[in-house]
Amino acid sequence: MRRSSIFFLLTALKILIIIALFVHSRIELSNRMTLWKDLEGIVSTLKLTDMALFTDARYARHPTQADLFSAFQDYPGSIEHFPTGTIVPPPEFDSVETVIKIK
Amino acid sequence: MSTEIIIETANTTKIFNKEKPDEVIAVNDVSIKINRGDFVVFKGPSGSGKTTLLSMIGCMTRPTSGSIYVKGKDVSHLPERFMTMIRRNTFGFIFQQFHLIKGVSVCENVMLPLYPTDIKPSKLRKKAEEILHNLGMEGRKDFPVQRLSGGEQQRTTIARALINDPDIILADEPTAHLDTNLSEEFLSIMRGLQQEGKTILIATHDPLVYEKDYINLIIEMRDGRVKNIIGKQ
Amino acid sequence: MGIEKHRNILDYTLLSLLRRKFKNIGIILVFTFVIFIVGSILFLSYSFKREAYLILKGSPEIVVHRMMAGRHELTLLSYMKDIIEIPGVSKVEPRYWGYYYDSMTKANYTILSMGETVMKTSRLLKGRLPEINEKNSAAIGKGVARARFIDIGNVFSLQSADGSQMVFNIVGIFETDSELMTADLIVLSESDFKRLVKMPEGMATDLAIYVYNETEALTVARKIRERFPDSRPILRDEIIRTYDAVFGWRSGLVLTLFIGALAAFIILAWDKATGLSAEEKQEIGILKAIGWETSDILEMKFWEGLVISLTSFLPGIILAYLHVFFFGASLFAPALKGWSVIYPEYRLAPFINFYQVATLMAITVIPYIASTIIPSWKASITEPDIVMRG
Repeated sequence: MRRSSIFFLLTALKILIIIALFVHSRIELSNRMTLWKDLEGIVSTLKLTDMALFTDARYARHPTQADLFSAFQDYPGSIEHFPTGTIVPPPEFDSVETVIKIK
Repeated sequence: MSTEIIIETANTTKIFNKEKPDEVIAVNDVSIKINRGDFVVFKGPSGSGKTTLLSMIGCMTRPTSGSIYVKGKDVSHLPERFMTMIRRNTFGFIFQQFHLIKGVSVCENVMLPLYPTDIKPSKLRKKAEEILHNLGMEGRKDFPVQRLSGGEQQRTTIARALINDPDIILADEPTAHLDTNLSEEFLSIMRGLQQEGKTILIATHDPLVYEKDYINLIIEMRDGRVKNIIGKQ
Repeated sequence: MGIEKHRNILDYTLLSLLRRKFKNIGIILVFTFVIFIVGSILFLSYSFKREAYLILKGSPEIVVHRMMAGRHELTLLSYMKDIIEIPGVSKVEPRYWGYYYDSMTKANYTILSMGETVMKTSRLLKGRLPEINEKNSAAIGKGVARARFIDIGNVFSLQSADGSQMVFNIVGIFETDSELMTADLIVLSESDFKRLVKMPEGMATDLAIYVYNETEALTVARKIRERFPDSRPILRDEIIRTYDAVFGWRSGLVLTLFIGALAAFIILAWDKATGLSAEEKQEIGILKAIGWETSDILEMKFWEGLVISLTSFLPGIILAYLHVFFFGASLFAPALKGWSVIYPEYRLAPFINFYQVATLMAITVIPYIASTIIPSWKASITEPDIVMRG
């Protein structure tokens, strides 16, 4: 077989895969239409404003409702310095024994 | 032998780096005529202008002044496209350094001149294999060229020069890198091609070449000028 | 001239590329990787943005906070009767919500009650939501259930503001499909919520405002701000915009991590663009000498650029799609999700933005082809007799 034919075949194959992925995308999205309707229902029932993607800090859990970023706001001992605070967990403070524990 | 004039140069001059301090007059006012079927040798020391003259005849570069006629047609002022077309249809080139493309097989190297044409690759391959067969190279056709011996490389370049079935074959110092046996073999191939009716032009200063008795035109050059023309009809 | 000539030139181009197998495979790998990374980021952030847009359509059109000394304060319920008077406002409801830090699991939960809205059942809720004044019952998100190892029918306790433990029966759990919105929720009845956080009567966390005509939301917000200078109205449009920005900077963050690969690719392309090797120059000379035209050489270089860039771009995009939508962008997860105790489980919706993909193609494939052709331009227009001389 000619080298150009191999190239065209491989390229066509990749384009076919892309078309298949596109079809997958359409089917998947149309399957989710009802899910989004239901989710929208939950959101409006509970009057939610934010996604539960990042539960580490207040501004991350409810970015649209947050105050400005302030120190010691959320996770105990987590000194917030946005955006690092959402990537790096706070250090283990237990050993330092500065955590105030209520019995 | 027919007496049709296949190549004619009229006051052809080539100046490199014109009007600069390093100006070189490579070819100076050369007027020659070559008949179809001639076996021509351009003889002269290096720097005498024979290679430049050969490349002008082969439509690789244009003369600074004067004209060159190939098959009666003035080619010295054609646009690049048409020069390339004449070069591709009329000439076969054999270079001193072989100039084969490394990493590519013998057969592909031979096919290369006709790639940018509408020929079917299967047809082109058949043609290349036929030529290689005639040159005794069929056993080497799928070899990468860099693994060939000097003589085999020479025969590959001959095959490449023949792929377009040219009327005229130009060879620049073809025996410079060959020993006596291989040089003799090369010349006998050229002789055979001449007998098939092709016109052969060789630039050389190798006595082995220009002392052959079947050479019927020796053009001796020095300092860009024709010093002597010896016709042996 | 027929098509055969172009295929012949392509044939030779491919043969020529195969000669420098390792170099070219190297370029293709780096190129594919770059497309894969950038493509993944584009797919991911676009999918999040679209999904945020679709789901947050259900949010209240305006949320009104009260501010005191620049901090978020509880809102007075008495604001409500003034706000409902504003033309265009259809409904005003209080929202009760906040955070609960669970020292046992070191997780932050979101606690809320539903106000006065009549409870609806949903496919996404196993069980039910607590009634308005129902005592000691809660519906929780899957993430909370996982963190505390509890299920429907179990009980769990939260520490109230006065230090006492309040026990709750779990009457409902949100299904996995809704985790993107509900993973960390604890939904309580209004009275329980107020008891838990000791919220004074006549107060709410903030107010949800609904308007008849969405295009008037901005006007209504301005009027609320005029009437109550200490209020902070947040529009639903702003909420959705915030999500665009959040996914924007998180994408940028991921991109920064792969800046090395990007730099390597640019250096490679630069290396190609700034010059041909002596070998390549000589090859062009040979091809010209044996009868190739300038345009044939440039066509060969065009094919070379196209073959390399297409052979990289298409698999790169395919891999990016698989990575994001079949494997949940597992490579980026650490940077995207950040750290926390409760991670929602979700499958990304395969939204494709053709404009983005086309742009990505335009800014990678075309410059690559150009960087292949341009340096060979000079070599290909010189007269072929240099090979005779050299």
